[in-house]
Amino acid sequence: MAEPFVLRQEPIGEALEAVTPALTDAFVAVREAVADERPVVVLVDGADLLGQGASADAAVATGLLGMIRTFAIEGAKPGWSVNLVASREGHEQEAEAAVAMLAASGLSGQVIEVGTAHLGKVVP
Amino acid sequence: MSLAIVTGAAGGLGGRIGERLREAGHELLLVDLDPGVESVAAAQGAAAVVADLTTEEGVARVVRAAGEQVGVLVNNAGITRDARVPKLEPAAFAAVIEINLVAAMRLTLALERRFADGAAVVNMSSRASLGNFGQANYAASKSGLVGFTRALALRWAPRVRVNAVAPSLVDTPMTQAMPPEVLEKLVAKIPAGRIGSPDDVAGTVAYLASADAAYVTGQLLLACGGRSLAP
Repeated sequence: MAEPFVLRQEPIGEALEAVTPALTDAFVAVREAVADERPVVVLVDGADLLGQGASADAAVATGLLGMIRTFAIEGAKPGWSVNLVASREGHEQEAEAAVAMLAASGLSGQVIEVGTAHLGKVVP
Repeated sequence: MSLAIVTGAAGGLGGRIGERLREAGHELLLVDLDPGVESVAAAQGAAAVVADLTTEEGVARVVRAAGEQVGVLVNNAGITRDARVPKLEPAAFAAVIEINLVAAMRLTLALERRFADGAAVVNMSSRASLGNFGQANYAASKSGLVGFTRALALRWAPRVRVNAVAPSLVDTPMTQAMPPEVLEKLVAKIPAGRIGSPDDVAGTVAYLASADAAYVTGQLLLACGGRSLAP
């Protein structure tokens, strides 16, 4: 199996000017990885995914989610594996385990949230 | 009477949203990069601003025209640059993110002090935010708007509500230009059995902007004829 590519969302806080580069760079990196037949896991902050942090961080986290779902849809035939893990502070080990599991699974388009802070919330 | 600002208002959908908000009693400020927005505004007895919302100057022009008591902001401006992932140019990816997502964020945040108590922001997302073939850029932009909506709803509560609408296929000049057989296949996937009308979407926006939705914030309302549920 090819080495997994793990893309980690970098915090940008409220820096609007960083949103487009963050998402565009992620698109290019994920595309290169799937072209090399590497499984991809995007790692975002779980609070950002729920919109509980800075607005630009939230936009990037959910933007990455929409992007990876589209990669999964388009990659169904060529067999791309592109997934997302939402991590939480204090749950880093579980997040890395989820990343490794997804990377080895052959699954695509999956979202795993580690921890329990998302329970009872609407998840995008 | 409070002011409602609608971006992307030169198009059929934005124009119809403006009409619905005017019928609900709002004064209108219609915004678009397309100078055609001026004739749309004239027909509705509304004010117009021609502005490029990807620039600080364009945003500043809207803020200056907005006054001090903005009741509604509808971030409707958007573009598509569709291509499958292998063919999608990074510049096209970035352009869609910048216009559909960042421009909306920039305008909304710039208006923060201009919103009246109880004001409503409605961001135009899309069912494609859930993922859509040939639209990695568009899906990312519209999904990004969902995160922005949620974050701002939490930050601005209880003074200003922030929600999003996610239409599916809507009867606009863009969809009318599709080959009929392609359109027919897409409509066949919609449980409602028809393409959405601009009025379907405008009505949903008007609801979220109204006092009927006074207890609704941070939500994504899918106005997609059930397309997001269908196999």
